[in-house]
Formats: sequence, C-alpha cells, structure tokens
Amino acid sequence: MATGNYSVRVSNISKTYKSGDVTVRALDRVSFTLKKGEFAAIVGPSGSGKSTLMNILGTIDKPTSGELYIDGVPTAKMDGDQLAEFRNKKLGFVFQAFNLVNGMDAEANVELPLMVSGMTGVERRKRADKLLEYLGLGQRLRLKPTQLSGGEQQRVAVARALVNNPTLVLADEPTGNLDSKSSEDVIKLLWHISRDQKVTIVMVTHNVDLTRHCDRVIHIKDGELEKDEVLT
Amino acid sequence: MNLSDILFLSYKDLREKKVRTALTIVMVVIGVASIVALVSLTEGISASISSELSSLGPTTILVSSAGTSSSGFTAATVAEMESLPNVTTALPVLTGSATLRSGTENTSVTIIGMDPQDLSSFFGKNASLYEGTLYPDTVSPESVVGYDIAFPSSSGGSQEITNGQPVTLSISSGRSSTSISVPVVGILAPTASSFIISVDSGVLMSLQAAETLLHRTSFNTILVKASNESTVSATANSITSVFGSSVRVTSIEEIAQTASSVIGSITTLLVLIAGISLLVAAIGIMNIMLISVYEHIHEIGIMKSVGFKNHNILTIFVVQALIIGFFGGVAGIIVGAGGAYGLASLTSGASSSGTSGAPTTATTGGGSFRGGAGAGGGGAVFVGGGGGGAAPTSSSGTGSLSFTPVFTLSTILTALIVAILVSVIAGAYPAWRASKLEPIEALRQL
Repeated sequence: MATGNYSVRVSNISKTYKSGDVTVRALDRVSFTLKKGEFAAIVGPSGSGKSTLMNILGTIDKPTSGELYIDGVPTAKMDGDQLAEFRNKKLGFVFQAFNLVNGMDAEANVELPLMVSGMTGVERRKRADKLLEYLGLGQRLRLKPTQLSGGEQQRVAVARALVNNPTLVLADEPTGNLDSKSSEDVIKLLWHISRDQKVTIVMVTHNVDLTRHCDRVIHIKDGELEKDEVLT
Repeated sequence: MNLSDILFLSYKDLREKKVRTALTIVMVVIGVASIVALVSLTEGISASISSELSSLGPTTILVSSAGTSSSGFTAATVAEMESLPNVTTALPVLTGSATLRSGTENTSVTIIGMDPQDLSSFFGKNASLYEGTLYPDTVSPESVVGYDIAFPSSSGGSQEITNGQPVTLSISSGRSSTSISVPVVGILAPTASSFIISVDSGVLMSLQAAETLLHRTSFNTILVKASNESTVSATANSITSVFGSSVRVTSIEEIAQTASSVIGSITTLLVLIAGISLLVAAIGIMNIMLISVYEHIHEIGIMKSVGFKNHNILTIFVVQALIIGFFGGVAGIIVGAGGAYGLASLTSGASSSGTSGAPTTATTGGGSFRGGAGAGGGGAVFVGGGGGGAAPTSSSGTGSLSFTPVFTLSTILTALIVAILVSVIAGAYPAWRASKLEPIEALRQL
C-alpha cells in the first residue's frame, strides 16, 4: 500500500477487552497518520486508552479490528515471531520504568536488540558505543543499570531504542520516573533525534508542559480520538 | 543469536543466583556420581571375577562328588573321566577343612590335596612360591601353606610361620578330633584371591598325604579339561549322563555366566536406585527453572519487545538447563570416581593398587568380599560337594575378592550424556513456558 511520506498509519483501530461478562471498549475506531520524523505526543486521562494505543502501535498488543501500517507494511495479521522480527527492524521502545536488563552493563543493554538481528559482535559493539557516546554515556559503558542514575538509565534505554535505526520510537511516559531536569533533557534528546535522524517518535505523557516540544498532540478520551493538534 | 550471545544470556541468569545454581548442580552431581560409582564398581567386580575365572581356563569343568565322604572319587573314576570324548585331562583333588593351631590362635584352613604338578593347572599362573619348595608327591605330609596363613592379617601381616617350621593341624571327624604336626616346606605367594578355592588360606599337600590326614580313600573333586571351548558343554553333559546324580558338574563357563547374570541384575537394580536420585534432580531442575522463568518474566517481556522470537527465549532457558547438566555431569563423574575408589578400598581392605597383578605385598585377606554377588554364588556351586567330614571350603576359607573400579569411556560419556539429557528434558517445560509468554503480559509483571 502506498503511504507516501507517512511512516505510521492507524486505520480505524478498535480494541475491546472482555472482563467477565462485561465488554470494555478501550479504543473505538481511532485513525490518524504520522509523517516521517514527526514527534507526536499522545495525551489523555487515566483509562482513556492511550496506553492501549501505545501497545498497539508497538505491536505488542493486537487491535480487535482495524489495521496498523508501519512503513506501509500492514501488521495486524502477523504472528508473534513475525511481529518480533518486525519490531526488531522497525521499532524502538522507551519505557517509563526504563526496562533495562539488570544483569547486563549499559553496552550490552544497548546491544540487546542487535543480538537477534544477525549483526556481528564487533559491528554491534561499535554501533552501541557510538550511540552511548552520542548520548553522553561514553564513560559509563561498563556500568550496570543499578549503578546509573535515572536520567542515565533512560538515556541507555533511548540508545537501545535507536540502535536498530528504527522507523518509529515509542516512548511510554519516558519522564515519569525522572526529576524535572532529567525530564527536560530526555524530551530535548527525543526532539533532536526526530529532527536529526528522521525518526518518528510517539510519546505518551501526563505532563502537558512537555508537549510543547512536540509537532503533534493527539488527545484520547474514552477510547476515542478527541483532538488532533498540530503545533507549529 | 550466535553461540556466545546464547551462552552470555543463559549464564547471566545462572550467575545472578549463584547459590541456587550451585545447589541445582549438586542435585545433578549426586545423581550422576551414584550412577558412575555403582556402574564402575560393579564393572570392577565383574572384571575381577571374570579374570579369576579365566585363570582357571574356560575349558575347565569341575566335577564334585555329590554323595557322602564314603562315596567319593577314586583313581578309577579319574581314569573313566579321562577316557570320555573331548577330555584332555582329569585331575583329582581332595579338599577338607581343618583347624590350624598356632600358639593360642586357632584358624580355619582348607586342606587341599593334589598332585604338585597339577598345581599350576588348577590355579593357573597365580600359583608361585613365595619361598621354599613344592611338596613332594609322596605320602609324607609335607605341605606348602597359603600366604595368608604364613602372614595372617590378625598379626598385621607379619610372618607367623616360617619355612621349615611344622604346623599343627587339628582335624575333626565326628566327635573326635586328631591333631597332627605337618612340616612346612614352602609358602605360596599371594594368589590374587582365588575365591573359588581359597588357596591363600589353604594348606596344600600331596593327594596321598591329604587322604591320610582326612581319613579318606577317595577324592571329592575332579578337575576336567575339555579339548576346547566349543566342546565344554557337550563334555559337561556327557559327564552328567555317565555319572548321574552322584556328581555335580560345573563348567567355569557356566560359573562365569551365572556370575555375570547375577552381577547384571544387581547392576540394574543399583542403577535404578541411582536413577531415582537423578529423577529427583530432574524435578529439582524443573522446579528451579520454573522459579527462574517466573523471576525473569519482565526481562523476557523486554527481550520480546525488542525482537527476541519464541525460539530465542526457548534456547536461552534450555541452554541454562544444559549448563547445569554439563557441570553437574562433569562434577558427578569426578565425585563418582572418587567415591568408587573410596568404596573399593573400604570393601577390599587393601590398597587400591593392582588386583590382577603380580604377587606383590598387596594383602588380599583382610576384609573379605565373600558376601559379594558372584563370589557367593559361584563359589558355592563349585565346592559344594564333599559332604560328610569335608565341609565346603568356601565357608571356611577367607577367600576374598579385591577389585578396582573400572571406568570405561562409554560409562563416562553415557553419564555425561544422561546428565545433560535429563537436565534439558527437565528444563524444556519451563523454557517452553517462557517462550510462550506474550510480551505485553510479560512486561506488566514486575
């Protein structure tokens, strides 16, 4: 399917959960598109369905109906392993809780996605080191996550999200566990990345203040797309 | 994933919980060690038995008198047996029990009467003199004593009987007992524990002298040599058909088969018991791995979200089990080998050095292994005859079987493969569970 310069196309996506006898509609026919290199925020109150939308964008959850195109590729019909491979090539994740593997040092954490990509160890290490260097962690390669500050951990997570040259980076409350200074740094970093590397970034946040750096703000309420703001 | 990544990721989880990993490995070690120890011990015992038996030659057939002391064999019987087809030689032997008086000590000994020239046919290359000469083939009761009589273990192995010094033998027949002084002309070197007839605790003399001493005019055992191995059973059958129920016929081959089948079933039983400990280890591994998978759910979620496929996760956990199995197996083989040597030296009461070897100073008399599998069975069949005054020698002697554990490459490899296989099978289910986790569910677990 021709997508022009869209890197993400959300087409009529719905998600329902069965909770006992009650059917909960978490997302209701949501549609939007994101351009290559766009930095978008998804905002909305708790329980609005924004996390569900993030998980679906990240292909770790499946829509009940609708289709998600990333780089023009439809993903709804892929099985678990196909999606894993797809994520490995096209997506990067930054989580609120950093989600680094504690038993491995910063460098190994960044290398993790490349371990299943078939890249040689030398090449992989070079790329991870370069990214960590770029993110100001050149001296912290050998440290374990528990030896790093929250801001540093999140930068390692950003490096891991970028190491596979993804089309789309999903940042779920990336500043939720950080102080305001570190939050500001991480947001600026993401903004730079979207500009410099032409990576589409989708960020979920509670903090409306942080959305001023974004190109787009998508408001979700009760599972529906409430407002799609384009900031300039 | 390349091999080093797989090992790195698997080892990472094991290293996180060092004590738990070590204990899991110990479970495998116990299982493997007990199997290795038992197999090598029984293989050692069976090798020792078969070397004992083969020293008598596979063509040897033992004919013992099944009647009372009065109905033993005579020279005519020997001649008759020798005339049977496929029989090369028939050697008459007379055994009986006596008590050796030495100072205040009384020791049970076996009187073995046989032609001195037949000695090597009977005891094979094991029969050599420690000192002195062989007894003459005359009626005079000059004797050669076994090594354990000259150097009894009760005296800590120091020489009690010297060459040329007479010993006093007491022979009981019915209610009365007679004592006779017998000159010693030679001492046999240790015979590497012939448990069939305990030469080491025997007093050897000529047939005529033994007859006089034991008040007999006949022998209770005839040693028949068949012309070759293929005629052994036919020869045994023809002896049975000619002499009927008055004799008991046993071929060495038959003893060997009996012994090996007894050892075989004991081995199976022991290995089964050891197998239970391996089964317990397997359940332990499965349990620990399930806990480990549970603890790593969040991490599995991270890995899956960055692109790890089901089989990548499966591999990581299976390799964890494999590492446990490998190290448990290697350590188990080492511990099992150590245990086997320890047990062997305990039961034989001797240094664990060569068993089948030259007559060195290695003692074979101390702790006896007569209760052992093959020895009891085989020995009883062999010397069960005699009756009357002549008690079965196997019960009076201190024939012992010393052995070293036998480690074959196949035992070691099998143990290692079994350890790895059992661990991997035990780890397969937890690994499968891990691989099937949905990334979104897994990420939610913290």
